[in-house]
Amino acid sequence: MNKKMKLFAGILVFGSLWGFSECIIGSVLKDAGLPYGSIMTGVFVLIYLVLSRMAYRLPGMQLGMGVVAGTLRIFNPFGGCHLCSALAIMAEGAIFEIIWYSFSFDFDNMKNITNQVSMGVITAYLVYIGGYIVTQILTPIVSGVGFYVENLIVFLPRILASGLLPGLIGAFVLPGVLQLSKLDLKIKDTFYYPTTFGVSAFCWIAVLGLWFMWGA
Amino acid sequence: MGKEKLLPVFAIAVLIIGCFSSLYVNAIEGDSKTIKINNEEYTIRQIFNFANTRTIITDDGEKTGVALDDLIINTASKCSSCNAYTFKSKDGYQQTVTWDYLQKGVLTEDNRIYFSDTAHSFWVKDIVEIEVG
Repeated sequence: MNKKMKLFAGILVFGSLWGFSECIIGSVLKDAGLPYGSIMTGVFVLIYLVLSRMAYRLPGMQLGMGVVAGTLRIFNPFGGCHLCSALAIMAEGAIFEIIWYSFSFDFDNMKNITNQVSMGVITAYLVYIGGYIVTQILTPIVSGVGFYVENLIVFLPRILASGLLPGLIGAFVLPGVLQLSKLDLKIKDTFYYPTTFGVSAFCWIAVLGLWFMWGA
Repeated sequence: MGKEKLLPVFAIAVLIIGCFSSLYVNAIEGDSKTIKINNEEYTIRQIFNFANTRTIITDDGEKTGVALDDLIINTASKCSSCNAYTFKSKDGYQQTVTWDYLQKGVLTEDNRIYFSDTAHSFWVKDIVEIEVG
């Protein structure tokens, strides 16, 4: 099987699941009055990013997933800040790449529970606040209003504080995701493309369908 | 020391930063019962009494409130050399826009500003101050 094609399909399916979760599950959590941003990053984003890293072990994949998920997030049928969220999601993928590139590719460094918990805290916290900071800078620039650095500086303590909850959630989620590496979950080559493209198509059709019905 | 041995140190540092930032933001959080404009304090009720209202169309529906440009003019805050208007929230969040955007913006009764053609991140809530610069 063509390795590049397999990777592309992986980026598409994990990115689509991420985008779908942000649009649909994130909106449900928001309507329920829950801290949806923290839950999305601490649980869903961490699961997709680490799971894909474990499965493919290739740099650049999570960046691609962020681009796919961010693009899908633009079409969120349930409103919210489309541009800010899309930019934050894309940044989250890039920040994950930087953090994990700095530490480990082969997961050898994360055999003990202390390191797993620590990596969960570090990853979820930095991915969350990194995405937050990037969107605070890029949204005014991309939307053409203009970026004022003092607006970011005075809000920085709030951003740093907001990463605490996703960081704590990540402490529990990452060790759980790493346990999945003990399972021999492999999909047969003949089912790989139909499954990945089928799941991706479902995510896009569901989000775009709702967007055309309610959001457009 | 290997990177793996530094992981717990980094994690603790991250949690300490998060905890102290939380304590700090809770300590500095302001009160949004009044809005400070040009060093004068106004209640939302007062603002609605002296400034004209308008309705704008946003991608989140119609929003009706005090016209921001009219608010600035009526509080004698407009100056010919100024073109940056910063809206500050009680949680420290703030956004700056130019006069052109004020002409397409409103302050609603629930103390939130909306603009017809900006990203939602400019829709600052719980306004405590409007700074002219």
